[in-house]
Amino acid sequence: MKDRLLLLGYAIAVVAATSVHNPWWLAGGLLVVAALAGRQAPTIGWRALRAVLFFNLVISIGYAAGALFGQAVSLDYLILVNTRVYLLIFLTFSLASKIDILRALSFSRNLSYLVTLVLSQIIPFRRLFEDLRLAAESRRLRRLRLRERYLQSAAAAVHLFDRAEHDAREIALAMRSRGFFQPEATDNAPGD
Amino acid sequence: MLQAIEVSYRLPEGQEILRAIDFQLGRGEKVVLLGANGTGKSTLLKVLNGLLPPTTGTVSYDGRVVDRAALREAAFHQRFRREVVLLFQNPDTMLFNPSVFDEIAFGPRQLGLDDVDKRVHHWAGELGVVPLLERTPFGLSGGEKQRVCLAALLILEPKVLLLDEPTANMDPRSTGWLVDFLADINQTTLVTTHNLSLAGEFGDRCLVLGEDHRLIFDGPIQDFLGDQDRLAAANLVHRHRHRHGATEHSHFHTHDWD
Repeated sequence: MKDRLLLLGYAIAVVAATSVHNPWWLAGGLLVVAALAGRQAPTIGWRALRAVLFFNLVISIGYAAGALFGQAVSLDYLILVNTRVYLLIFLTFSLASKIDILRALSFSRNLSYLVTLVLSQIIPFRRLFEDLRLAAESRRLRRLRLRERYLQSAAAAVHLFDRAEHDAREIALAMRSRGFFQPEATDNAPGD
Repeated sequence: MLQAIEVSYRLPEGQEILRAIDFQLGRGEKVVLLGANGTGKSTLLKVLNGLLPPTTGTVSYDGRVVDRAALREAAFHQRFRREVVLLFQNPDTMLFNPSVFDEIAFGPRQLGLDDVDKRVHHWAGELGVVPLLERTPFGLSGGEKQRVCLAALLILEPKVLLLDEPTANMDPRSTGWLVDFLADINQTTLVTTHNLSLAGEFGDRCLVLGEDHRLIFDGPIQDFLGDQDRLAAANLVHRHRHRHGATEHSHFHTHDWD
């Protein structure tokens, strides 16, 4: 029950954070979430900052660059977007470890299946990603140029994508073979 | 030449993968690393290649400890990466260049060598991949990828080859070719496998990792392969019932799994 309530609270908080357009209210929400995180707040805050820094910088600089081309730039809007993204990530990081997602979604068999499938894929993908990283490191004799790093990253991304597609197809076939996708009941018997 | 001294490795989640592993590889020695699935063979190779830092213990190469500090030194890093190479079990993780030629040339280009073209053609010839040079690595078969990866490593003229299940993606013809190829090279090799019928072909000495993640055997491979009790203890043989005509009995089998 606790997990379900936490998940519900999380969903409400996400909807609220995306509906509120006043940066002061969002900042207040951030303070509340930080207070609820307790002693873990600085660690979560730092992790969330690292996670959003690149994305937020690119968006903010891109938006601010619009001023160079005569576009009206609002500082309030910049603060609003950055605060909202940071709040959402902080919220997710602080609740992710507290919610047992399988228990929280146990009310729906289909959602439970879906989450189990996702979780069962995360571990092999983490291993594969680690192997890609180590293989690249193993073959690096000096600091790589930007183009070489780009090629490595692109190849890794393609490999991960291919693997995900292949695994998804295999899983779907395995589920079909175990009768997961029941055909719609029809009045027509086979051969009719 | 390459030495593991009381090496242990624990995952960040706490699970112990290697426990107090202690051995040394001599120059030109050909050694086979055996162990059932999940005993830590691949992890041990990554630790020996300086990719994963041991939780305790040390790895040393030519008398020099291989740790983060050593690998931060550009000269040692380049020497170590050139001389000690690792063939990953999944060749796809190693391939990221647009063509097989570029893949094989990746190492020499990093070193700034001027006869890259000649070297690539030489090693592509040795590994039988000349007809593939213009192709995209991702479009190749498992065996072809493995050969390309090997060419990309051997072009560096390494002194130590760490090979993780090199026959895992190969058809029988390619497997036979690889066995002959490895028998002819002079480098120190450490090959992991759980294919017992091939193990004897890869080296004279074997190291065996047990299911408790410790080194449970280090000695002549024929001694280990001939010892049914040790094979069973390492979970490298299995017992099952089978029929000979009307009679049914059960005994250990050394069926290969790949």
